[in-house]
Amino acid sequence: MAKITDEIRKEVKEIVYSFFAEECEADIVQINENTSIINDLDGDSLMFLELIEIFKKKYSLDIELKVIGKYAVKHPVSTIGQLIDMQLLIIEHENHLLELDH
Amino acid sequence: MSKEVVISGMSIISSLGLSLEENWNNIVAGKSGVKNITHFDPSTLATRVAAEVPPEFEELSRQYIKKRAGSQMTRVTRMCVTAAKIAVADSGIDFNQVDRTRCSVIMGVVNTGNSSIEKDTTPQNTVFKTMTNSMPAWISLEYELMGPNFAVNTACASSAYAIAFGYEMVKNGQSDIVIVGGADSIINFEEIEGFNALYALSIANEPAGQASKPFSLDRDGFVIGEGAGVLVLESKEHALARNAPIYAEIAGCAITSEGYNIMAPMKDGVGMAKTIELAIINAGVQKNEIGYINAHGTSTELNDRYETMAIKQVFGDLAKQVPVSSSKSMLGHTIGAAGAIEAIITALSLKNGILPPTINYLKPDPDLDLDYVPNKSRAADIRVALSNSFGFGGHNATLVFRKYQG
Repeated sequence: MAKITDEIRKEVKEIVYSFFAEECEADIVQINENTSIINDLDGDSLMFLELIEIFKKKYSLDIELKVIGKYAVKHPVSTIGQLIDMQLLIIEHENHLLELDH
Repeated sequence: MSKEVVISGMSIISSLGLSLEENWNNIVAGKSGVKNITHFDPSTLATRVAAEVPPEFEELSRQYIKKRAGSQMTRVTRMCVTAAKIAVADSGIDFNQVDRTRCSVIMGVVNTGNSSIEKDTTPQNTVFKTMTNSMPAWISLEYELMGPNFAVNTACASSAYAIAFGYEMVKNGQSDIVIVGGADSIINFEEIEGFNALYALSIANEPAGQASKPFSLDRDGFVIGEGAGVLVLESKEHALARNAPIYAEIAGCAITSEGYNIMAPMKDGVGMAKTIELAIINAGVQKNEIGYINAHGTSTELNDRYETMAIKQVFGDLAKQVPVSSSKSMLGHTIGAAGAIEAIITALSLKNGILPPTINYLKPDPDLDLDYVPNKSRAADIRVALSNSFGFGGHNATLVFRKYQG
């Protein structure tokens, strides 16, 4: 369980923005928190998984994919802002993510 | 009530060019796309020539396929998707203006080319690069089409089968539009070594451009080519309603199985003859109407002998009056793409009134005595033409095309 600092928040945002700009050949200045991953960037669900792998390595996270899957079913992500919030929750709560719903 | 079926869009990516016009001009000029292999080092192989798609394809592909999607495709899948997008643009279809549930995709796919020459395969994209339905799937995803979307594998007849199925779907009213075709790229060490072990490939490496010589006395096997061919099939009424360009009509087809041998055609071309005969009956045309046959013409001993015998069995005394040529003399054998590429060439022959040649026809085989349109293209105002495709495993297909009299 990591405490989310402003520095982590900034770092996660930068990684997410850069990732989508690179993969979707989008202008990074056109991406904002309300940008739709599917409709505006032509992204796909696999990108979410690839980002999880990036953050798992970066922050040495103890998180199982099935935990994220169960959480994501109840809390679907469609915008960049929602995705960043989800990634921050994963970093903060790791395998305890589902306890947020209790 | 059955519908008339027309071709409203086409594209070819091959060793002879990246656009339909470039391909047609080079084919009419009798140029060869066969060169020394550059995809890998072939120096230890008996065969060192192939018909490779020019390297400019990579830039063309980037214009049509986004980086993200492209990273999940092999080179040959990108060829197929690029060709499909060019064909759709050629047809002028706006999918926002048609019923997407009545638009389908059928592609002839022998393999997806995830071989030793494929770059950037990772655990994350291996499945997408390998799954044999990837070509039709990506095309349907691109346009959000919701009619049937599937791949057909009947070896070298695959994309001819795709056209036959597409034709039937439009004719029977199941779909208004079917994007059909195929792509193939097996110019890699393993495949060439494998075909060499079957003595199926030409080993006449010098000069490369003369290696593929269908119907000639000194033919010694086929030359592998790579490429893609895509056609947009549409009901005539649907095409006319949106003022679509129409290249030709598909009048009929036949697909059969020989049940004979995994590699060799049925002796004396009996199975091939049966397929041609059935296609002519299915199309409701007379044999004396047929002005051209685009042969399977692989440049192997057996295919060219038996295909000639088959044409003689079907046409009898008329056989020597029907021009027959092999596009594989110029493009090599593009395997899963061959049926579609050759269907497109046949449609352009009807539209433009020009018969493409069989190049490298320098030593006639006395046993093979049809009119093979030797070495130079020929003007001819033809009304009906056939395209043959025959695959390992006994998969036969003959497509019948009619000139569009719009």
